[in-house]
Amino acid sequence: MLLQLKNIYKWVTQGGRRIFLLNDLNLEVQEGEFISIMGPSGSGKSTLLNVIGMLDGFQEGEYDFLDEPVHAMKEKSRSKLYKEYIGFVFQQYHLIDELTVYENIETPLLYKNVKSSERKALVADMLDRFNIVGKKDLFPSQLSGGQQQLVGIARALVAKPKLILADEPTGNLNSQQSTEIMELFRDLNKEGVTIIQATHSESNASYGTRTIHLLDGMRDRSKE
Amino acid sequence: MFKNHIKIAWRNLRSDPKFSVLNILGLSVGLAITLLLFLFISHERSFDTMYAQKENIQRVLLFTDGDQGEETWTNAPAALAPAIVADIPEVKKASRMYRHNFGGNAFVKAGDEQFIEKDLYWADAELFQIFNVPFLRGNGQKALDKPNAVALSQSRALQYFGTIDIIGKTLNIDNGLELEVTGVYEDLPSNSTLDAAMVGSFKTLNFYKNPSWSNSSFETYIYTVDNTNIDEVVSKIQTTLNKNVVKEDQWYSFGLQPLEEVHLYSGGYLDSYSKRDGDINEVRNLTLLAFLILIIACINYMNLTTARSQKRTKDVGISKTLGASTQSLILRFYTETFLITGIAIALGIVLTIVALPFFNDITSRTIVVAEVLSPTFLFLLLGVWIITTLVAGSYPALHLSKFSPKEIMNPSPARKGAAKLVRKGLVVVQFAASVILIVSVAVMYKQMTFMQTKDLGFNPNQVLAINATVALENKSEDALLNKFKNNPIVQSVSLAQGYPGLGVSGRTLRKNDQDESGTNLQTNHSDAAIVDVLNLKLLAGQPLPRVKQRSDTIVEVLLNKKAVAYLGLSPEEAIGKKINAQLGSNAYIRGVVDDFNFTSLRAPIGAYAFHNRPIGEYKNYLLVRFRESDLSTTLSTFEADFKEIIPGGAFDYSFLDKNTEKLYEAEQRTAQIGLIFSILAIFVACLGLFGLAAFTAEQRDKEIGIRKVLGASVFGITKLLSTDFIKLVGIALIIAFPLAYYVMNNWLQEFAYRISIGWEPFIFTGLCALFVALLTVSLQSIKAALRNPIGALRKE
Repeated sequence: MLLQLKNIYKWVTQGGRRIFLLNDLNLEVQEGEFISIMGPSGSGKSTLLNVIGMLDGFQEGEYDFLDEPVHAMKEKSRSKLYKEYIGFVFQQYHLIDELTVYENIETPLLYKNVKSSERKALVADMLDRFNIVGKKDLFPSQLSGGQQQLVGIARALVAKPKLILADEPTGNLNSQQSTEIMELFRDLNKEGVTIIQATHSESNASYGTRTIHLLDGMRDRSKE
Repeated sequence: MFKNHIKIAWRNLRSDPKFSVLNILGLSVGLAITLLLFLFISHERSFDTMYAQKENIQRVLLFTDGDQGEETWTNAPAALAPAIVADIPEVKKASRMYRHNFGGNAFVKAGDEQFIEKDLYWADAELFQIFNVPFLRGNGQKALDKPNAVALSQSRALQYFGTIDIIGKTLNIDNGLELEVTGVYEDLPSNSTLDAAMVGSFKTLNFYKNPSWSNSSFETYIYTVDNTNIDEVVSKIQTTLNKNVVKEDQWYSFGLQPLEEVHLYSGGYLDSYSKRDGDINEVRNLTLLAFLILIIACINYMNLTTARSQKRTKDVGISKTLGASTQSLILRFYTETFLITGIAIALGIVLTIVALPFFNDITSRTIVVAEVLSPTFLFLLLGVWIITTLVAGSYPALHLSKFSPKEIMNPSPARKGAAKLVRKGLVVVQFAASVILIVSVAVMYKQMTFMQTKDLGFNPNQVLAINATVALENKSEDALLNKFKNNPIVQSVSLAQGYPGLGVSGRTLRKNDQDESGTNLQTNHSDAAIVDVLNLKLLAGQPLPRVKQRSDTIVEVLLNKKAVAYLGLSPEEAIGKKINAQLGSNAYIRGVVDDFNFTSLRAPIGAYAFHNRPIGEYKNYLLVRFRESDLSTTLSTFEADFKEIIPGGAFDYSFLDKNTEKLYEAEQRTAQIGLIFSILAIFVACLGLFGLAAFTAEQRDKEIGIRKVLGASVFGITKLLSTDFIKLVGIALIIAFPLAYYVMNNWLQEFAYRISIGWEPFIFTGLCALFVALLTVSLQSIKAALRNPIGALRKE
């Protein structure tokens, strides 16, 4: 088992009242799964991804990642864990404007203290694989949306994570670009990468091996 | 519309209190400093402008000849004034001024009370005709007509008599002269070069009865008729001189200096009696400093405002789409700047008033609050207000208002880049200016320390100079000397005409009769013990003889090395040689001492002589070298000893090391002002940097978020954000160092004895600037790095 969420509660207090973002949420993810999370805006999709990605905390519940209790960890070991095993893909790509394609892809490796020669090889692999060798010296603003997202995925993959978290990865793309990205995800999944994506689109969700429906921070079992 | 602008400006101020406080604080500190400096500068420039006939008043200057550089004295011989009034029609009036005892103190007895008077002058009756000093009692025009007359300032009258109705009362000076009060004048303003608290009539003095052409100790002011050609007058003075003095005895020539230049343009002139000396260089340096700080403050404002206005570009874009014209937006930004600078100026005035006593203290000026609030100054303030608004507001107003709405709402990278470059440039300028200030102050302090610790060739520590004028009048100087010799705390004691740091008598040393020009020789009438008291190093021969009969016509002379070198002799060769130095025909060299700095370190060492010629100069000072012991007991035993010999005599003393320090008062002052202001300048610069760092952190919010998600540590992010700023500071250092070097190298040229600038001030400043900048920036960076990245990434 890759990760397990048990009775997760997350809330914010507004005007003296608790508003639940995640409400008694349970989830188990096996290695090799491709999970799609669906639900209307505000149902907690992004929050769930952030919690899984350890970017955000929660108030109650337990979270085990590779059988280690994340809820009991200090910030430092948590950050070590996600640096090692998790890659993120965003709807707005979130590339660093000041860096070239090559440098953007290289950044996670820098933070993992990977040696220079190894970095070169890894980045070159990625550029090859996504057919963007010719664009490696361009800046994000010089690329189309689809190309930017390709770079975003390359960046997420370069550190060889076990899990990719994708928050509406095709939300800003046209249908053709969308299809390309989703097919890429499917290929990656076949190679063994676990993927969890949040999406609004049924067709995108259908690429996954399993779909989870959220409503008001709870699993909507009626749809699953 | 305009009301609207003000409303928006006010709301903007309140909506972002942190920025507003930084902005206003920075600006008001900068303005307060500028205001203080302007006050000082205008005070300095206002010197002697209160005299109605100021354009007709000139001071006589005397230029000495000599091989070793010419000197300019502000004193002239007593015979000059009457001679030129008689000979030269343009010179209507002239007045000689003599500070009591060549600058010494007077003991004044009014009724039964004794006072020490530091500011007693003797002057011709014409003094109050040339300088229209308002008289409260008596007639100023005639106050000094008769011998034994004296005029008092209002505050002295009150101090001595408790009233100003004192015409006809008498004062006793130095237990001798009886003077009759003939007038009371209004206290001379603090910006008058003339600083007399009491003026006795010149006719009282022997100098009046027997005016000579050789003793040049009288500051002389002349009154010339309108439209006088000054050059012509100068040449006529030469003619008069030629008439009265044979060519061989003319060791000087004369010049004239307009009154308006007396205060600021007399740097390097010797023997000025007024204690209120100014320095045009100081005024220039401080003017520069004022502008530099104003610029730093304005840049601060620009930086903070543009940084903040990025946030408001959207609002500008909306205004534009709603039909606002560029002009109206410019007006809007200027209104905002005007409001903020207004608040800053008000606060700056408050700060100025609060800081004024302290400022007066370090500048030794007496600037009053009324000067801050005087109409002219308020008018100047209005000018500063408008200029600051125009300068500080220019960038935000012109930069932001010109954009098209589309661009503002969605700025192109090129535009962003340009704006960034300008801001960075401004920070570099700001820091460079601060760095120049710090380096300058560091160099000044290095030079000050050097001067204070330099081996002067004599030892001024543990030496007390006691005014012994009273003893001379009683002929009790030998008794005084013996009394002190027997005091166990006293190591050695000597009677001398003066001491290093105090002017003594100027004479001319000639190699032989053919040597017409000769060199200027400072001569000090003293005794055998002077070598011990001052710790002078005897190179050859012996000190002056211990016993000297008044009838003895042989004069023994102790020369310094410089004087012997002028004669072309080695110290050993010089012993026993006859010397031609206006010390009589029987003067012989008895010993040679090593060179010592008898004047300030600004000037190179000249020729100096101690002699025992009994006629001419009096030995006014008892110089006592005492052993280390509790200072207050030492002083009280000395006072008891002194009073025992001279009952009723006032005990007037000074420490030699303190007197030596006084020589560098102006430099100390500039260094002190510079130090305080450069600390403030760097503070203001840091406010700017702080704002910019906050702004950048905000702008790079998204990038920081991404990097954190990708695994960057807090330290990594802090480093990333700080490096950019450190680079800017680095560039500022590179720009500032050569400039600072150039400026300070020039400043050091004023000193004959100076430090080499060396690398320490630069290293020190560099580290200071980097440390302060790092501290400022990392505060912001760490804050940004600690923020949860999700917030940043969720935006848009």
